[in-house]
Parts: sequence; C-alpha cells; structure tokens
Amino acid sequence: MKSSVKTILILILILILPMVIVKGQELPKNYGNIPDELVAFDKFQKAYKYHFLEPMGFYGAGRELPPPKDIKEVRLGFLGPLEGSIIMPLGYQMLHGAELAIEEANAKGGYKGTPFKLMVHNDFGLWGAAANEVVKMDDEGIWAWIGTIDDINSHVAIRATLKCEITVINPGDPDPTYTETNIPWVLRNVPDDRQSSYALVHHIYVKNNHERVAVIRTNGRYGRVGTMHFQRAAVRVGHPVIIEERFDDRDTTFIPQLERIKRINPDAILIWGNANSSGMIVKEIRELGMTQPIFGSDRMVNPEFFEYAGEYAEDVVTTCQYNPDSDNPTLKAFQKNFYEKYGEEPITFAAHAYDAINMIIDAIHEVGLNRVFIRDVLTDLETFKDWEGVTGKFIWDGAFNNLRPIYMAKVNDGKFEFSPAPVFEKSDVIYKKVKMEY
Amino acid sequence: MKKILKNKLVLTTLIIVIIAGLSILTLTLSGKSNKPVTDRSRTDEMSFGPLDYPTLESNEELRRADEMKKQAETMPIYGNWRNFTVKDGLPDDKAYTVRIDGDRNRVLVGTHHGLAVYEDGKWTNYTTEDGLAHNGIVSIDICAPSGDVWIGTLGGLNCWSGGKFETFNQFNSGMPNDLVYNVFCYGKDVWVATGGGAGQYDTYTKEWQIFTEQNAPMHEPWTYACAAGDGKVWIAAWGGGIIEYNMRTRHFRDYIDPDGFMEIDLLPDDGVIHDITTAASWADSILWVATYFGMSRYDGKNWKGYFQHDSGLASDFINFVRAEGPVVFICTDLGLSTFNGETWVTYLNDEENKNGKALVMQGLEVLEEIPMSPGYSHNFVIGCDAEDDVIWLATSKGVSRGERIR
Repeated sequence: MKSSVKTILILILILILPMVIVKGQELPKNYGNIPDELVAFDKFQKAYKYHFLEPMGFYGAGRELPPPKDIKEVRLGFLGPLEGSIIMPLGYQMLHGAELAIEEANAKGGYKGTPFKLMVHNDFGLWGAAANEVVKMDDEGIWAWIGTIDDINSHVAIRATLKCEITVINPGDPDPTYTETNIPWVLRNVPDDRQSSYALVHHIYVKNNHERVAVIRTNGRYGRVGTMHFQRAAVRVGHPVIIEERFDDRDTTFIPQLERIKRINPDAILIWGNANSSGMIVKEIRELGMTQPIFGSDRMVNPEFFEYAGEYAEDVVTTCQYNPDSDNPTLKAFQKNFYEKYGEEPITFAAHAYDAINMIIDAIHEVGLNRVFIRDVLTDLETFKDWEGVTGKFIWDGAFNNLRPIYMAKVNDGKFEFSPAPVFEKSDVIYKKVKMEY
Repeated sequence: MKKILKNKLVLTTLIIVIIAGLSILTLTLSGKSNKPVTDRSRTDEMSFGPLDYPTLESNEELRRADEMKKQAETMPIYGNWRNFTVKDGLPDDKAYTVRIDGDRNRVLVGTHHGLAVYEDGKWTNYTTEDGLAHNGIVSIDICAPSGDVWIGTLGGLNCWSGGKFETFNQFNSGMPNDLVYNVFCYGKDVWVATGGGAGQYDTYTKEWQIFTEQNAPMHEPWTYACAAGDGKVWIAAWGGGIIEYNMRTRHFRDYIDPDGFMEIDLLPDDGVIHDITTAASWADSILWVATYFGMSRYDGKNWKGYFQHDSGLASDFINFVRAEGPVVFICTDLGLSTFNGETWVTYLNDEENKNGKALVMQGLEVLEEIPMSPGYSHNFVIGCDAEDDVIWLATSKGVSRGERIR
C-alpha cells in the first residue's frame, strides 16, 4: 500500500478515536472532590438530582451599566472579626493580607491611576451585624469584597450580598455549606473542610489503620459543620466515631471531657477548634497520661498552637490548605514583606486574603468597574482557573470552591512539616461492616 | 481498489471508522433524546389527530388530551404587558417587590433606591428623606384590619400609616435584625423574617416576640421569608428548611430535606427538596416552598418536588413565590412560571427582553405557545402580585403590569 494512503488512514484514526473517547468522558466529576468511595448513598441508590455540578449563572440586569466617572478611589470591601471576637487575631491576619495587596496594587498605579481603597468593616456585633455591614458596603459603593471567618457571620453576610448583588471571595471560612447555598455571587478561595475531612479520614483510618477514634470539638458551628464530613466519611469506611465531646471556645480546661474519652480508650483523638483551645487540649491529653496519636483541624497551623501545646505538640498531625514552605518565589516575597510590615509570620488567613484581593484587582483590570462583569469574569471557571497566587493555584468547582489539593501538616522538631494530602481510591466493597466496639 | 481492500490495515481502519461513526451517531442521538427541555423555544408537537381506526390506546390518548386542554384552560394567562423603568418615574430599575393595594386602587413597588407608588397613572417616590428606614425596599405587605402598609427594608422596618413612616429597628424595638428580608401581615400580627431570626409584632399590644435557634427548631436564626394561613405560620429558614408554628398550640415543627445532604436530592417527593429555603406561600390548603434548587408543594400529607428538568418550571433558582387560590406564581432568575398543580404557564422573554412568549405546559410537554409583544421588563423576576385580572412583576430591570388575556 502506498505510504500516503497509510498516512491518511492513520490520521483518520487519530482524529476519530479521540472523539469517541471524549464522548465517553461526559459524565461529570463528583462535586467538591468527593471521593467516589464517599459519594452519599452511591453504593445503594443514585440520587434524583446532583447539585453544584454546573456553575450558577447570574441572569439579572446590570451589565449595561456604564463605569462611573470622576471617582477618586476604587473601593473594595473587607469584613472580618476585628473587635469583640475571640478570633480577632485571625481577623487581623486577614486584614493585613488584604492591606498588603492593596498597597502593592496602588504602588503599581492602582486602577488606571485611581487608587484602590479598602473599606474595613467589623463582623462582630448585634445579631446579624454582618448582613448590616454588607448593606453599608453597598451604600459605600464597593465593587467586591472579601470576608469573613466565622461561619455564622459568613452565612449571614452572603444573603445580603445576594440582595445587593456584590461579589464576595471568602478567604477564611472553611464551612462546606457556605458555598452550598447556590448563590452566584459567592466564591471561596480557601479549600474547605470537606477536603480536610477526607484527607484526615484517609490518613487516620486507611493509612494508619485506626478504628476507634474520639472527637473533641468546639460547640459552635465551626466544630459542628467542620466535623460533619469527617463523621460521615468515617461511617462509610466502617468506623463511626466512638465518642464526641464538646467544649466552649472560651474554656481553659477540658479535663471532664478528656476523662470521659480516656475511659473509652480510643485508638486516636481528633481535635476540632481554634489554635489556642487545640493547644491546651493537646497539653491536657498528655498530662492525663494518654498516649494516643492526636489529629486536628487546620486552625492548629498557627504559632499560637505551639504557645499552648508546648513540647506536647510533637507528632500532632493536621491539614493545611496550602504549603507555607513552598519554594514559590511570590509566596516567599509575600512572607518577607508581611513580616517586615507587621512583625509576624502570615498564616493561612493572611495568605488567602492577599490572594483574594489580588484576584479581585485582576478582575477589575480585566473587565473594568461593573459589579456583574467582575462576577462574570471571576466565576467563568476559565479566566481564573489555575490562577497562581501565593497559596498556589485556584481551581473553581461548580459551586466556586477552590479544589486545589491540600497538604498534611505534621509537627516535627517543634515545627510543622508539610506533605501532599492522600487521595481515596474506590473500593468495590458495597457495604462495610460497622465496628462499634466500646 | 480490491488490492487496497485486501490490505489488513486498511480493512481494520475502515471497520474502526464505521464503528466509531456509528458510536458517535448513537451517542449523539441518545444525548438529544435524554436532554432535558431547558430551551423552551421549542414547541413540542402533539399528535391528537384521529387515527384510521380507534383503539383502546388512541381513545385513552384522546381522553387524556381533552383533560389536559381543560386543565390548561383553567389557568390564567397574562399578556398586554406594560413596562415601567426610571424613565417612567421609578426611583430605580432594580425592583425587589410589588404589592397591589386594591382598597386604595394603587400599587406599591420596592426598589433598590426607594419606594414607588403608582396611583392614577403616576408614580410618586419615597426615600429616607421622607422617613423610610433605608432606601432598599425588599418586601411590602398590607395589614388587612388597619390598612397600614408594612415595609421591610435593608435597614429596618417601616409602618406607613396616616401618611407617616414609623421606623422599627434593633435599637428602638424588639426587632431581631435590621435587614428585613420579608414582612407578612396575618390578622393583627406582623411577621418579619430577618438575618437574626423571625419576629412577630402584635399591633394591638405593641410587643415583639422573637423566634431563633433558642426557642424554635432551627440550627441558626437565619430566616428568609414568612407565610401564614389556617392558624399556622411558616418560616423559610435558610439552611433549616421550613419551620411551622401553630398559633393555637404555640408549638413548632420543622420540615427539612430527609436525605440530609446539601449536594443531592435523593428522592424528589420525600420532603422539602432542599434545606436552603427562600420563600413560602400558602393558599387553597397548599403550602408552596421555594428554594434555589427547585420548588416543593405540600398538601398537609404529601410533598412533591418540581425541578426545571422535569417540569414547566422556568428555573430552579426561585426568588419568590406567591399563591393566590389554586395558582402559584413563581419568580425565577429565568422567567415567571405559574402552576396549579397540573398545568404550567411559563413566561419567557427573548435575550434582549423585548418580546416574549407564554408556554402552556404539562410536565415537559408544551401544549401551546403564545407569542407576546412586548414581553415583560426582564426575565430575572424578583417579586409579583396578582389581583382580579391584573398581575404586577418586580424585575431586575423595571416593573411590569400584565392583564389577563385568557
């Protein structure tokens, strides 16, 4: 056969076969990086409807509005715990990250010569204050905003942002349900507690073969919703949590709860709380003579944790939404500039706030001053997909969560060491026999 | 040619090409047949024509078609749209809510920049300078016994009575929160849904009662809407489904999505379809519940779920519902749908929002398409009210008045 005929036939094959394969890949991925093994009810019954697989659009008016003339500043909003809250240190980290991004953007000329200005609002006050602050931001004429950390305040605020139609990027609230509200104006650049839970369940139950895990968590929404997917995933791998104890964020001793846990003698203990509470709990666990491995939520990745846990912090394992030790030069520069300006190391809240503000500024440079266009470009899943910030890449899912892979963090010689989080593999076992030996 | 065909490589290639071609054709056709009817521009053809000879099946089909037509005829269809924007006197094009005040022969519209009242063919506007708590007016209701107008704003609650605006907020009253997403008058009581809980204001005793996670079955006090009827109040609790409050027994019960997962609806008719509820309305012994994931109907015994992909619903993202008698008006981000439990009428505009059409549907089957020129103001419908033969819509880009044309 002539070589030209052969070449043509091979070309036809190359062109046609991928078409068949592509057609076969149309099935959507699981929402929120849920491992196949952990999809709800999946081994028993397919759901009637799966949400969040397609990105929410905004179909209202507003794109026709011209950009304003003669403005003296381009206002961006900030909402965080800055007064009266026990997580104020996290709020200030977030604020400083945002301020640093604004400062750098203005040093580069702002938006076409007009400086950016951060309109700062405190989220802690009377019931529902966060919503009222969003309305104030709307009155101030902001173009987009970032915030906040507390689950309740974040939820309250996004309903107001929906009414006022202003984009928000959340850099600090990992509550999975935050974006599961289907609001087309809400994005989150910090990977959520689903990702942390799946990584911890894999690490604890699959990799380390623990079976009887105790949970001690804060009694607030952060603890309840944060551990929700851990508990569900633990059930699906056949080992439901054997005891759950709770504490108040302002507690300074946890002996009663820990003694109850001690009596059950679990294989391992999971702590879900703020850095200071977690540090105190770790210390009391060891002082009670308990030697079980300790795991925790990502708020442990904070110098404050070591202040309270001291030497007992060794070998504690948690997750982290990014790798603070990455060789990424922009991260190194950010860490250096942040330390020089504020005299402390930036933690996840500062780094993600810095990225969130930079992302909004890039969006404004891309489409100009129009709230709907800013939303459109931020949520199109393409323009900002793989956008590289100091915390790494950004990969939006249908609910505008960042699906970037997260990291495990283990204390070694008094500091956290980071490694890629493990990933679940699907098992063909339909039903895992639940073990409730206590 | 024969030589070429005898070559094994050529023969294998041709077989693969044919198989691949057939696979693509099959997949394309199956994809088309499974595709939900999201593009309502297509009118499905119905074959009601007589067959050459009658059969049990054809008689049944004719009977069913006849019933469908009768059902469809009972549904009101609105048209002759007249649209209003800032050019016509509104304070803002973005309208959140509309309420017909039939007793005073006027219409009240809440916009992002003030209250607008349409009376005698003219718009009169009111802002914070006139005494409103905030210019963002998101909900309006009228207290039947007194005729007072209650106005929920982004920054407090107003009672408009005797030409004066009285303001209620967190600082001067027992209001749960200043951002009033919904206000609903029920007898002498005024109910509000706010970010800090639901509130009940007794207009006789001038006292507030607040319902939060402390005294009602909600995880958090985020409420979005209220509805009432038959001695019960229903609160749409963001993340908490629907909370039912029995006014006589003062007992609560909640209705949540039984599957317990935010990312799925396991069964559409096992309860409210999602815990993120956005609006509720009760009429004709039916409770209608709106979510950003579809709609639920509850008759006191059974729940039924409706989605865009399996019904005539314009979109799963529902901003507001109002039930009047047997008909529910559903305001979505892609158009207005009306439904009586059997027949849908869905109103859609073209992309430019110039012309529109009404689709009369049963399930996904389009029975009739009625062109409308002009269409209503904008497909993004946020609020509506209907009385007698008139409907008013609040949309993202203006207000519309429609008349019953059938």
